[in-house]
Amino acid sequence: MVSLLSGIFANHRHNGSSDMKKILFFLFFLFFCPSVALASFSGLHGFVENDIGIKLSNDTTKRDNYNMLEQRFQLKTTYYAQGANYWAEKGAVVNFRGDFTVDEYYSGKTDFDLREMSLSMSPFSKMDIKLGRQVLTWGTGDYLFINDQFPKDYESFFIGRDDEYLKKPSDAIKTSFYPKLANIDLVIIPYFTPNTIATGDRLSFFDSFQGGIAGTNSDRHIVSPPFQMSNNEYALRMYRSFGSNEAAFYYFHGFDKNPRSYKDEANRELYYSPVDVYGASLQGPFARGIGNLEFGYIRSREDTNGSNRTVENSWLKLMAGYSRDLGNDLKIGFQYLVEERLNQGAYDDNLMPSDYRWDEFRHLLTNRITKLFKGQTVNVTLFTFYSPSDKDGYVRPSVSYDITDQWKVTAGMNLPWGEDDRTEFGQMKRNKNIYLRVKYSF
Amino acid sequence: MKRYGLLLFLFFVGTTPAWAQTVEEIVNKANLASYYAGKSGQSDVVMTITDAQGRQRTREFRILRLNVKEGGEQKFYVYFRRPTDVARMVYMVWKNIGKDDDRWLYLPALDLVKRVAATDKRSSFAGSHFVYEDVSGRGVDADIHELIGDEGGLFKIKNTPKEAKGVEFAYYFVWIDKTNFLPMKAEYYNASGKLLRTVEALEIKDVQGYPTAVKSQATDVERKGSTIIDFTNVVYDVGIEDGIFTERYLRQPPTQWVQ
Repeated sequence: MVSLLSGIFANHRHNGSSDMKKILFFLFFLFFCPSVALASFSGLHGFVENDIGIKLSNDTTKRDNYNMLEQRFQLKTTYYAQGANYWAEKGAVVNFRGDFTVDEYYSGKTDFDLREMSLSMSPFSKMDIKLGRQVLTWGTGDYLFINDQFPKDYESFFIGRDDEYLKKPSDAIKTSFYPKLANIDLVIIPYFTPNTIATGDRLSFFDSFQGGIAGTNSDRHIVSPPFQMSNNEYALRMYRSFGSNEAAFYYFHGFDKNPRSYKDEANRELYYSPVDVYGASLQGPFARGIGNLEFGYIRSREDTNGSNRTVENSWLKLMAGYSRDLGNDLKIGFQYLVEERLNQGAYDDNLMPSDYRWDEFRHLLTNRITKLFKGQTVNVTLFTFYSPSDKDGYVRPSVSYDITDQWKVTAGMNLPWGEDDRTEFGQMKRNKNIYLRVKYSF
Repeated sequence: MKRYGLLLFLFFVGTTPAWAQTVEEIVNKANLASYYAGKSGQSDVVMTITDAQGRQRTREFRILRLNVKEGGEQKFYVYFRRPTDVARMVYMVWKNIGKDDDRWLYLPALDLVKRVAATDKRSSFAGSHFVYEDVSGRGVDADIHELIGDEGGLFKIKNTPKEAKGVEFAYYFVWIDKTNFLPMKAEYYNASGKLLRTVEALEIKDVQGYPTAVKSQATDVERKGSTIIDFTNVVYDVGIEDGIFTERYLRQPPTQWVQ
C-alpha cells in the first residue's frame, strides 16, 4: 500500500492521463486485491456537478462570454486497515479523493485532479503521521492567510468553484507529536506547489511586463524552484489550549507561493522567492463571540535589507477577527488585516524610474454575513473584501439550496473592483462573473 | 445497585406522596437520567427530517460523549456519515456550565478546524427540528420549575425561562416518568399560550441498566414538520478518554471509535 502511495506521490507532476492510469490501478487494487479482506472500506462516494460562470465584463482572455464551463466527477473513499496486523493496530487509514473533469473552457479538455491520496496512522501513542497527497490548513483567518503558507487556487476562487477548491493539495509528510506541554505539527514538502493564479488565459490580471491588465497577450514565464533536497519546504506549528483559548506558534521555511520576484526582466521571467515566516496566533471566546489574532513576519531570504528591487521585500502582517452567532441562523464575521512592507526606505531608494511603486502599508477589511433559511437548506452568504488603502474590493454573494440530500444548486457572483489597475482586487476587475452550479452527491 | 437504591428510596418515602420530592430534585434527576447516563457513552444516530411538504432528509452520525463532571461539564464528538457530502465532517462540543459552550467544526475537504461561535443554543441541530439544547441538555438553572401535576405515573412540570431573551418560547411543560425520571414529553408554548413545538420519547430501552430513550420525535407544531431521531448501538461506560475530544482527533478521527 505504501509503495503504491509513493508511486503516485512521486509522479504527481506528470500530466492528467498518467495520474488517471494510476487511479484506475488504485481502484482496481481496491476492488480486487485479496488484502481487501483485511480492510474495511467506507464505500465509494462523491458527486457529479456542472458549473457555468458567465462573464459580466469585457476582457481579452481566451473566451469573451464565460470563464467557467465544466463538469466534475468526484470519487472519494476511505479504507481502514483491519484485523490482527501492524497496520490495523496503528489505526492506518487511507483516504482517496479525486476529480475527473471535463473543461469546456479548453474545448472539452479532460483531466484528473488528485485531491487526496494519503496514508495516516499513529505509529506511537503520542505521534501521528500522514503521508502523501493531502490538503493542509492552519491559522485563524477566514479567506485570509498569514501563517498558512500552503498552496491555494485563486483561479478557482475568482471564477466561483466551491470553497473546497481554494485549497490545493500538497505532496507532503506531516508528523504530529503530542507531548504534555504543547502539540507539534511538522510538515515536510519535498515538491513545491505554487498558488494557482490568474495567467491571462482564463482570468485577466495586471502584468507589469505589459504595463496594464493583460489577457492572452501576457507572455511572462514563471520559474519554479527545481526539485532538490535543499528546496524542501518545512512548516512547523506548535499549539495548545488554555481553557477555551488556543495559542499557536508557526514557522515556515520555503518559497513565496506567488511569483512576485523577477528572475530575468529582459526575458520576462518571474520566480518564487525564498521566504521564512515566523508567526503566532490566539483564538478564543470574546464578547459573546469568537475572537482571533494572528501575526506573521515574512522574511525575504534573498532581499533581507530590501535593497534588491527585483526581489520582494520582507513583510509584517497582523490580523484581528471576530465572529458571532446572532441567533436564528444568522452569523456575522469581521476581519482587519494590515500589512507593512519592511525596509520601505531601501525599497524606495532602489526603485528605477520605470518601476511600479507600492506603498508601505496595506489595510484590508472583510465582512461575512451568513443566514440560513428553510431548515438550514438555504444558505445565503455575502463575503466582502474592502481595502481603504488600495481603494479596491471584492464582493462575493452566494445562495445555495439543498433541494434533497443529493441535489444541491448554488448561484453566486464574483465582483472584484478597484480604482487602480494593479492592486490585488483592482487587477481582477474585468473578471466579474455570475455562476451557477448543480451538484448531485452519492 | 441502582435498582436497590430506588427500592430503598420508595420504601422510605412510600407513605408520603411522591411529590414530596422537591421539584428541583426531580428536575436534577431528569437531567442526569437523560443526559448523563454512564461516565461516557457512544451511539449511532439516524435523524429523519420531514419538512412541512413531507419531503424527507436523513442525517447519520456517530456520537461520543464524556461526562467531565456528573450533572456538569461534558464533551461531545459527532462524526458525520451521511449525507455523503458531509461525510467525515466532525463537530465537537465542550459543554460548559455558566458560560458559552466551546464548539469546533472540522471540514475534511479543506482540512479546516473552525472554531464556531456558539451563543445560540436554540438554533436547529444539523437542520433538524431538534435544537442544540435538546441534544446536549438545557441548563437546569436556566428555568424556574414548578411541579403542577401528577398524571398517570408522570410528574408534570412547568418551566419558565429566567432569561426570556434568546428563547423562542415563553414556557414549557415537561412530563417526567416517576420511576426512571426520563422526560417523556415536552411542550413549548408562546406567551399567548399557543403550542409551538413538542419533543416526545417514543421508545425507551434498558441499556446496561440505564433506561434510555432510543427513539424520540421533535415536532414543529407552528410551521409543521418533524424529526425522528433513532439511537442504535448505544453503549455506556465505553472507556473514551478525554484526549479524544481534541484537535488531534478532529483532524484524524479515532478509527477505534468512529468506524
